[in-house]
Amino acid sequence: MPYIEIIILYCLKQLNGERTIYSIYHLLKGKKSSQTIQDAHLYKLTHFFRCFESISREVLETKIQKFLGNHWIVPNGDQQFLVTSVGEQVLTASLEKQPFPKHLDGWKYHSESLLFWERFSLLVQVISNFNFKEAHYIPIQKNKQVHRWLKLFLKENSWQKNSLGKILHSELMDCFESAQNINPAVFIFRLTGYCQIGLTPLQVAEKLKIETTKYYIEFQNIIHFLIQHVRANPIQYKLLSSIILDIKESNPLTHSSKITYEYVRKGLSIQEIAKTRGLKTSTIEDHIVEIALNIDGFSIDSFIDKGIQKKIIAVANRTETKQLKLIKKHIDTANYFEIRLVLAKFGGVKQ
Amino acid sequence: MKLEGILKKYFGFQTFKTGQKEVISSILSGRHTLAILPTGTGKSLCYQLPGYVLDGTVLIVSPLLSLMQDQVEQMMRMGEKRVIALNSFLNPVAKRSVLQNIERYKFIFISPEMLNVPYVMNRLHELSISLFVVDEAHCISQWGYDFRPDYLKLGEIRQQFGNPLTLAQTATASRKVREDITRFLHLKEVNKVETSIDRPNISLYIEKQMDYQTKQNRLFELVFSLRKPGIIYFSSKKIAEEIASQLRKRGIGKTMAYHAGLDQEQRVLIQQQFIHGQLDVICATSAFGMGINKNNVRFIIHYHMPMQIESYLQEIGRAGRDGLPSIAILLYSEGDVELPLQLAEGEMPSKEQVDWFFSWLKNNNHGKIELFYSNNDLRTIGGFSEIQWRIIEDIMKTLIRIENMDVEKMHDLVNEYINKRLEVKRANIFKMKKWIDLNGCRRDYILDYFDEPIKRNIPACCDVCGVDLNNYLAHDESIQERETLEEWKDYLSKLLISGLEV
Repeated sequence: MPYIEIIILYCLKQLNGERTIYSIYHLLKGKKSSQTIQDAHLYKLTHFFRCFESISREVLETKIQKFLGNHWIVPNGDQQFLVTSVGEQVLTASLEKQPFPKHLDGWKYHSESLLFWERFSLLVQVISNFNFKEAHYIPIQKNKQVHRWLKLFLKENSWQKNSLGKILHSELMDCFESAQNINPAVFIFRLTGYCQIGLTPLQVAEKLKIETTKYYIEFQNIIHFLIQHVRANPIQYKLLSSIILDIKESNPLTHSSKITYEYVRKGLSIQEIAKTRGLKTSTIEDHIVEIALNIDGFSIDSFIDKGIQKKIIAVANRTETKQLKLIKKHIDTANYFEIRLVLAKFGGVKQ
Repeated sequence: MKLEGILKKYFGFQTFKTGQKEVISSILSGRHTLAILPTGTGKSLCYQLPGYVLDGTVLIVSPLLSLMQDQVEQMMRMGEKRVIALNSFLNPVAKRSVLQNIERYKFIFISPEMLNVPYVMNRLHELSISLFVVDEAHCISQWGYDFRPDYLKLGEIRQQFGNPLTLAQTATASRKVREDITRFLHLKEVNKVETSIDRPNISLYIEKQMDYQTKQNRLFELVFSLRKPGIIYFSSKKIAEEIASQLRKRGIGKTMAYHAGLDQEQRVLIQQQFIHGQLDVICATSAFGMGINKNNVRFIIHYHMPMQIESYLQEIGRAGRDGLPSIAILLYSEGDVELPLQLAEGEMPSKEQVDWFFSWLKNNNHGKIELFYSNNDLRTIGGFSEIQWRIIEDIMKTLIRIENMDVEKMHDLVNEYINKRLEVKRANIFKMKKWIDLNGCRRDYILDYFDEPIKRNIPACCDVCGVDLNNYLAHDESIQERETLEEWKDYLSKLLISGLEV
């Protein structure tokens, strides 16, 4: 089965017929809306966030038609689908053959993975040309900020310029040695150096005989692995970790939610925050849900009575749903915001 | 100081490239100059150097933002700090501060639409303009391949500046376009400096094929046997991709497609791979070629017919920059002329779109037509492509400035304008087709089209005069294969460790 189909079918299964197929589209594209972010968390799809930006609605729709034709899915409301038992079998079998790469974490790294790549690939090109004493070459990255960063990086750090190549090489080799289930070729052949231009994604995919979709995901996987691994071991990877030293570990909140979070910490109520910021209470509620999803240890007790929290969790577990409407049917004392908040905090259904 | 001395002092070069010195001397002797120099001859030097000799400001009108940005950066890298680009890239705060201190700048690049802004013009009028440069001057003519209505008012603007010394630059200009340039810029006398558009080492060759399938097979044959590297031009991204993938599958050449649909990183990689010999065939759209300096390209194939002779020449001009024999082959199969005709039509907004646009203006803007700029959804709702929308914007910009113009009148003028543009484009396509069907020498025809004297005794001139394709085949099998590293570990050490010991 083509890799893109595995991803879509998997998402459908996770969504359990409770969201439309376009939530998959927004997820893979990485749309930063509270709806998409909340859904990604609720349905445990965060690792796919912004992992396939080139997906088009057309491709998605064609795949859905194909799944319907194969009886892998059945309609469950408008543009919503449930995966059939046949579909589940197909999915399980495909995942056994081609499991999703395990370092992939789109939600955590989406904001820095591109920057990491741009900086890293430019650094390699500069070092390589330096080694060959070549001063005239076309930088492979065009982002001016990355150029400025590199200039400063080389100036401020006390690296010996002619030892950079060796250090980087040995750090990378160490990194890849400690990695399991990773094929470094996916990453390495993309790099450009002295008189050796890196390959495009399509070229590496063809060279390694991997499907292009799978290639994109594998590439992301390696980037995510590198960021995570290097950041966790800054002493071992002095050079590599300093590439991302100035990028703050991404605060996953949207800008506006960050401001709301500040007010919450000062003890303001939802109504007070709405009034101060001149926003609707429903907007602030969206922010609170987003905060609950992303900030570990964020207490929701001041927004919702503990007794109701327990009730909601119980109903969600019993009915195995994350659909607000269904849950509300069972507890009319809770409002939608409260249900969303509890689901956000506790992830809905237990595993 | 002699010109060479100035060249050495400011640019570090010993000698001028062809045409540069002629243009510069012409300007410095106080004559308005029309410079027709091929791309890659360092056209910016032609106004930069006089700028250092003359007192006052050099004002450069340039239509392409990216090109403008490139030139500014290049000049800054060369150490010229008194250079600025006034265009929409500049944010309002920066723009204000630049304009307040405008007299600090020696070289001011400006987009034509900025010349419409009264405050900008007022500030510029306080300067003494020593040289007025019109870059890509063919844009002033509707006969050119890139007509920009904005350019039409440059003559008037020149006069407002008091007829400053003027340099108009372009890479190609047919007779009609040249006439338009001098006329619309209000230049009474102009000194022309041109190098021939002719490239005698490139043979012009046309092959007619029965149908599409035969043409495709013939392409595979040619690419297989011709001496490489080479570029194949297509009018369609999709077909460029398809053929590239076919060629790869058949193992014919190391091939990639290049078009504007690829992201920037991929575009840079493919260009650089080609330049470094990692690729030997590019399946390209017209997006490929700008700023590519590769001097050993041996063939150019046109799989689709170009939309005008100017772009054909520009594209084949990428072959044989080393002066060695090279060949330009155009494959034509029955009915091929339909594609450019369709493309030309598709570039223009349709009558329905224009009607819709004007009914929207009438119903929504309460007579404040200029407000349509700020409505970003308008383009999407009206289903305008980027090119279509640019055409609407361009023409509207001009119309809005005309007093007492009501919406109906504008509507008529826009329709008229579009029809006229379409007619010109069709005429250019048929001119190209006529050239394809020609029984006489193909080079003569082109030279005449560009108002150049006909040359004789060019070896392997064109298929009509007689060309032996065998001379362009890769007989030599000993071409060194580049080593390709199969192991990522080897690749990585090559990048990061080799070189050090050497």
